[in-house]
Amino acid sequence: MERFFQYLFDGLSLGSIYALLALGLVVVFRGTGHLNFAQGEMAMICTFVVWQFNDWGVPLVLSIILGMIVGFALGAGVEATIIRGVAKKSQAGVFVVSIALFLGLNSLAAMIWGSLPPEQLPGLFPDEPDDFQRIFGAVWRYEYIGVLAVALVLMGLLFLLFAKTKFGLAMRAVASNPESARLAGIPTGIVLASSWGIAGAMGALSGTLWGGIVGELNAGLMFTVFIYASAAATLGGFDSPGGAVIAGLTIGVGEQFLAGYFPGWIGQEMKLSAALLTIFVVLLVKPSGLFGSTKVERV
Amino acid sequence: MLRIDEGSTRHWLLRLLGFAVITFIVVWVPTQMSSSRIGQFTDAFILMIAAMSLNLVLGFTGQISIGHSAFFGIGGYTAAILIKDHGWSPGYTFYAAAVVAFVVGCVVALPALRIRGIYLALVTLAVAVLFPTLVRWKKLAWLTDGSKGMDSVRYEDVPVWPILGELKGREGRAVFMFWLGLIVVVATYLVCRGIVKSRFGRALVAIRDNETAAAVMGVNLTTTKVLVFGVSAALCALGGVLSTLKSGVITPDGQYVTLLGSIVFLLVMIVGGAGTLWGPIIGGLVYVWLDNTTRDIGTSDSGILGALFGWADQSPATLILGLVLVVIMFAAPYGLVGLAKRLGRKVVVIVPRPVGSSTPR
Amino acid sequence: MSLLEVRALSAGYGPVEVLHGIDLDVDHGEMVVILGANGAGKTTTMRAVSGMIGRSGSVTFDGVDITRTNAEKLVGMGIAHVPQGRGTFPDLTVMDNLRVGAYARSGGIAADIDRWFAVFPRLAERRDQRAGSLSGGEQQMLAIARALMSHPKLLLCDEPSLGLAPLITQEVFEVLKKLNADEGLSVLLVEQNANLALKVAQRVYLLETGTVVASGSAAQIASDDAIRKAYLGA
Repeated sequence: MERFFQYLFDGLSLGSIYALLALGLVVVFRGTGHLNFAQGEMAMICTFVVWQFNDWGVPLVLSIILGMIVGFALGAGVEATIIRGVAKKSQAGVFVVSIALFLGLNSLAAMIWGSLPPEQLPGLFPDEPDDFQRIFGAVWRYEYIGVLAVALVLMGLLFLLFAKTKFGLAMRAVASNPESARLAGIPTGIVLASSWGIAGAMGALSGTLWGGIVGELNAGLMFTVFIYASAAATLGGFDSPGGAVIAGLTIGVGEQFLAGYFPGWIGQEMKLSAALLTIFVVLLVKPSGLFGSTKVERV
Repeated sequence: MLRIDEGSTRHWLLRLLGFAVITFIVVWVPTQMSSSRIGQFTDAFILMIAAMSLNLVLGFTGQISIGHSAFFGIGGYTAAILIKDHGWSPGYTFYAAAVVAFVVGCVVALPALRIRGIYLALVTLAVAVLFPTLVRWKKLAWLTDGSKGMDSVRYEDVPVWPILGELKGREGRAVFMFWLGLIVVVATYLVCRGIVKSRFGRALVAIRDNETAAAVMGVNLTTTKVLVFGVSAALCALGGVLSTLKSGVITPDGQYVTLLGSIVFLLVMIVGGAGTLWGPIIGGLVYVWLDNTTRDIGTSDSGILGALFGWADQSPATLILGLVLVVIMFAAPYGLVGLAKRLGRKVVVIVPRPVGSSTPR
Repeated sequence: MSLLEVRALSAGYGPVEVLHGIDLDVDHGEMVVILGANGAGKTTTMRAVSGMIGRSGSVTFDGVDITRTNAEKLVGMGIAHVPQGRGTFPDLTVMDNLRVGAYARSGGIAADIDRWFAVFPRLAERRDQRAGSLSGGEQQMLAIARALMSHPKLLLCDEPSLGLAPLITQEVFEVLKKLNADEGLSVLLVEQNANLALKVAQRVYLLETGTVVASGSAAQIASDDAIRKAYLGA
């Protein structure tokens, strides 16, 4: 039982980071119908920005907020300038551009922060060896508890934004029927740019939380997290924010169980593959993810 | 503006001119250029093959695949294992790799029957992520040598081809790989062209444009989709074999074996022009040229770029590549071939032969 | 001066021009219908008036030149457009659909919603249902109610009868007629069902391949033999 809870706690904390980034992917996809390949790299570069502010002496919490603002500006700016221009002409072009962003941002981070010694991002939470709580015999580190709490709070705020505010209503309307949304007077351009911006800000937070756990920052920081997040968005359904969160947590917990209970066959090295294979099977039964809506195609 | 009837003498002359230009380049490169330049052309050939194979699936059938790096890797590993562990002659491994990849491709295609769009993209992405991990997996190390990969997989003796003269040493090998690559490119092109221009090819385009309508028109979705994925995987594997034979090495995190490979194939295909036969070929040349040029720029500290990027800790090569890709997509949203067609139409128009007439007018 | 004045309006999609310079007026409190066969340019006219597609010529609304105005801004100025077939937000609830309708203004929204629920009682019953789960007729009524939430002076209504059963169509038209008569709402209507449209509208424009070929009062048009033969099937 002790092991069970240990895997559960670790899985929930890691899963909440995947869920944050996945939520960003879903917000973008619902708004503009694109998979933003650069989502992880945007998060990575914002994490460096957080570190940079912190290194200049700005308190960590303030640095994170600044990083999220930069993330918002980056996301919104990219949508309004590059993505929208290309999307008008060709959908395949958007794919190329998001890949180009992926490559460009990765390279940019390496250029600016590359040859410094491995950057240490101070954890947001107490991270001494004895900073943990024992629950049902399992160790739950304060850092992990904090990550889960912050992620859940942000996701909660986001859902409030979606459900309760006028802006959230506009976002849902644009996702549901962009043409009628324009006719109803919704400034769709601003809404779409903001969806990318929100995704960017969430990415900044997920990157910082992940960076705090990993400890070292480098240009490849978010690559695996991005894969996990894409997997979560797929499993949950690409147009379902709630699905992304549930799927993110499920994948986080699931991979811990798989790696923990089958150390010989799966273990740390194969846990991502095992998780992906499981999702693969789920998709065969539910081709639009667990909570995604199926679109009926008409001739 | 020039108007030329399809099939007329002038049209054939135009085609002949194009053919002559290509022949000139193909003969000039391996005989006149340095072996490192020749090697870059071989790299372009490898990318062309992979992008052409991907084009069959994405450009013509409309099924996205971010998993082709796995088929590329399957090709490379099949060759390496057969040559090193079983003593095969390298030439035969092309056939074996194609068969293995065809089978795997058909299996991967099965979920594509149910899963569509972005979900299919993510399933194929999973395939791309899975392949290197499987190769690295300790339970499979007996076959793949795990993370260290396999090396010295080459033509031990480059066969002597009378017209090419004596091919010896590094340079001889480079020239030989150039010709071998060219043969595979031409073969892949012919296969793709044959498929696209056939009844089967029209079925593919019908599926791409409207799957439901295609099914109603009598296209067998299951067979068509699975077969085209299999063929595409097999062609991609040829590129993998070529790449392994060229470098002599294959590792789980080697070039084009990881997810990044799939992404590069997609870039090459889209930048060249998705859904066109020549797109991947142009894309391959342009991508390799861009890649090498930006890398050269990155290493030089002088000039404007040196001044611009002198502060950087690392080479700006990839950043510049990214910027150039964005510019290309703004200027040529349907790829370079699409752009060339649009511009070309302002100079020369080929008037298509009326339907039903077979003799040139 | 008319409420809506359209002069020499040309519009199309990409390189294809669909409308070749049409003139059209809608007076205050008037209900005008555009008739025409498939492909005549009726929907294009609507989309051009509301700024959804690029256009040339001039469009004046309430004395203001709106030829260069964005579609998003027009709602605030008093033009509401119910597009053909899919004027609702299928993933949103009925309530949220109406709230979106009031996006461009503020204040008194709850009272307005109640008012339209009184006009369309069936929407009130389904207030928490997703719009996509409503029947075709209910969706059309929701789309109209959604458009009316913006307090328009002019309602553009693109083929409200599309895909509806005759009885439901009647009901929708009844509502439009009542709004026009009681509230003085100006309506520009596109319709294929000429018989029905001629009963409710005061004036008619007849569109053929992107040009206006005839116009006049509903009575005039209905009594023109040639037009009757071509459009009314009688």
